[in-house]
Amino acid sequence: MLDRRNFLKLAACLSAAFGVADLPEPVRAALKKIAPDKVPTLVYLQGLACTGCSISLLQAQSPGAVTMITEYSKLAFHSDLSATSGQQALNLLGDYFAGRAGDYFLALEGAVPLSMPEACVIGDKTLAEHLLSAARTMSGAIAVGTCASHGGIPAAEGNLTGAVSLKEFYQKNQLQPLIINIPGCSVHPDWVWKTIIYLVRAGLPELINGGEPKMFFERKVHDNCPRYHDFQQENFALKLGDKGCLFKLGCLGPDTYADCPSRWWNGGQTWCVGVNAPCIGCASPMFAAKKDFPFYRHFSQSVNQGGEK
Amino acid sequence: MRVNIGPVTRLEGHLSIHTTVENNIITEAKSVGEMFRGFEVILRGRDPLDAQQITQRICGVCPYAHAIASSYAQENAYSLQVPANGRILHNLIQGANHLYDYLLQFYQLSALDFIDVTAILKYSGNDTDLVTLRNWVKRELASDKHFPAAPFLPRLSGKYINNDEINIGALKHYIEALEIQKKANRASAIFGGKFPHATAIFPGGCTLEPNIDHISTYRSLIMEVRDFIHKKYIPDLLAVAAGFPEYWHIGQSKGGFLSYGLLPFGPDPASKRLFAAGVTTPAGVEPVDFEAVKEDVKYSRYSSPSGLKVRDGTLTPAPHKKSAYSWIKAPRYQGKMMEVGAAARVTVDYLQGNNQTIKELVNKFAAKAGIGLENLNSVLGRHLSRAISGVVIADFLLAETEKVDLGSRAMVDFQIPASGEGFGATEASRGALLHYIKIKNHKIDKYECVVPTTWNCSPRDDRDQPGALESALVGTRVENPREQIEANRIIHSFDPCLACAVH
Repeated sequence: MLDRRNFLKLAACLSAAFGVADLPEPVRAALKKIAPDKVPTLVYLQGLACTGCSISLLQAQSPGAVTMITEYSKLAFHSDLSATSGQQALNLLGDYFAGRAGDYFLALEGAVPLSMPEACVIGDKTLAEHLLSAARTMSGAIAVGTCASHGGIPAAEGNLTGAVSLKEFYQKNQLQPLIINIPGCSVHPDWVWKTIIYLVRAGLPELINGGEPKMFFERKVHDNCPRYHDFQQENFALKLGDKGCLFKLGCLGPDTYADCPSRWWNGGQTWCVGVNAPCIGCASPMFAAKKDFPFYRHFSQSVNQGGEK
Repeated sequence: MRVNIGPVTRLEGHLSIHTTVENNIITEAKSVGEMFRGFEVILRGRDPLDAQQITQRICGVCPYAHAIASSYAQENAYSLQVPANGRILHNLIQGANHLYDYLLQFYQLSALDFIDVTAILKYSGNDTDLVTLRNWVKRELASDKHFPAAPFLPRLSGKYINNDEINIGALKHYIEALEIQKKANRASAIFGGKFPHATAIFPGGCTLEPNIDHISTYRSLIMEVRDFIHKKYIPDLLAVAAGFPEYWHIGQSKGGFLSYGLLPFGPDPASKRLFAAGVTTPAGVEPVDFEAVKEDVKYSRYSSPSGLKVRDGTLTPAPHKKSAYSWIKAPRYQGKMMEVGAAARVTVDYLQGNNQTIKELVNKFAAKAGIGLENLNSVLGRHLSRAISGVVIADFLLAETEKVDLGSRAMVDFQIPASGEGFGATEASRGALLHYIKIKNHKIDKYECVVPTTWNCSPRDDRDQPGALESALVGTRVENPREQIEANRIIHSFDPCLACAVH
């Protein structure tokens, strides 16, 4: 349980994240259930998702996924890994959501189709119905990836399902559970697993930008970019495949909060800018949101002019 | 008796199967895709170069296949000549992605249908992984936790392999496969930037200039994956096959086979491929004609017209449509139902004599198992076809690395025309993938994807012909009609990806 030191730490985090004075009661209740040193149980659901975040979670290097689901968490259900299936799986989910199987965190990958609930069904109920049941019993929720955190591509301009983030879905239903947002399309495995390790070791990490762990999302990609020197020297890539600062091809590093430049991907093999690919802002709330804000802006403008026939 | 076996787990996404079972035989099966996002509508009006990024998010299991199909389609629309290096890097990325996917499919998604995980409790050796796993399962079972040892328990009732050595060996490889798949993905990330969702793939090539550092790391990683395929994956698959030989004859789909071909030997996607394209007909294998693909929606939740060609496709969701039972459309080739995927890819290639190694491998394993080529159309046949694909692709990738022109650009300079259209076709791990792009006033006017699981898990078409999976389930004997582990084995053998199927 919380000792005094950790309680103070939590209180400090919360005042930064939410403002202690008007902490909603459900969040207060949820916080009482977060016990450092107790391995959290995860019930992992998928909404309007591509499973890219789940696959990314399997790419974790140190510790790897097996250690994470045996030593640092209990993975009660995951559609891709669970041996259980069908009605047996629904019974398991039902037991957790009814509060009969103990404390748990909900993890959601994917957005929620607010205006077309039939666009996502798990077994006998819509995703929305499952989420509303879970809200009554879960200790809190982890929004895994950009779709669950911000809506992502399913919520992009022109979408037909009214897709929203997990937080917005609950807000529309007058609910305010504790939600940790961990964006990224896909999410970086460390961002999720190390948040969970933090929960085990110390409790709730400090959250910024409405719910993102500060330890991963404090600084902009651009500010830590190894090519920042190229930017200062105005050594710009002007066409795809060029080296140098990718700003003039539309790199969204200046608008995106994430630690990719120092963390890298796939066990530290490389990262987008490392292969001359502009950052497309996949961890940003505005990722892919607007039709008239393409990924490769300057490039596309110049070629479009040149391509006029 | 009617039984809904949904959600079916250990596959990508949201699938339910609505079955009717009489006297322990499945007499009817409806494949129900339960999730819709509407990518083709989201893509409309966007910059064409957004497409290879956005379409990767159709599926985070096989994103590279979408990036490649989109790049081929755009190259077709822009009339691009891709440099040799560019196509080789495309191949290196896509091929490594196939290898990871086969391992994940066999160990994480399928093995638990056959392997007895509780055998770990009897382990008495000193392998660190296995001792850790055994002690963990023991602690879990001794605890007062609900659902101990999840996600490996609870499990469906049924017959599992009754040989501790095989079970424990496969569990060890389940853990090892999780490490090895990372190596395959690290290999693709060398050139793609990251996995999932590569940022370096473009129409016209890749943004990275390959050097000796990249190539030597890539080769070393692929060698490790190749070694695992030969020494562990194939022996484990053969052990499962020996324990369940009836599955060479269970789960046969009742239509034809379609493959678009995979991994071109030259920069032009039309060059000879490692796996040849083709469609099987009673008369033999014929070349593929994209104009022969039409999508029916009589039983799909759309009010848009049925039976449209790919280039004419439209999408109006109708979630409450009375006759409909799935979000998946029903693509048909010249009106006929097709199975796509590894079995189709291998069979179509074999029948054309395109790749001698594929023929030799099929003949070798068929002789060992006492089956014929036609038995690739089965649960075990699909698994064997993935393993054969893995062997052939790993060797191809190593050979491709020798062709890289080190230190030379892998990207052509290009301009996007104001208007144009193009098709791009390749094989995702789970089968035939087609993209179509139409550009008008510099923007995407229409984007259509016909995706492997759209074929395999399709509902009935306008003429009431079932989809491939539906046809493969009917007639199957199930011991426990409420759980149907036998049906689960058939479903998993198709390696369904529902996010792909509906998109």
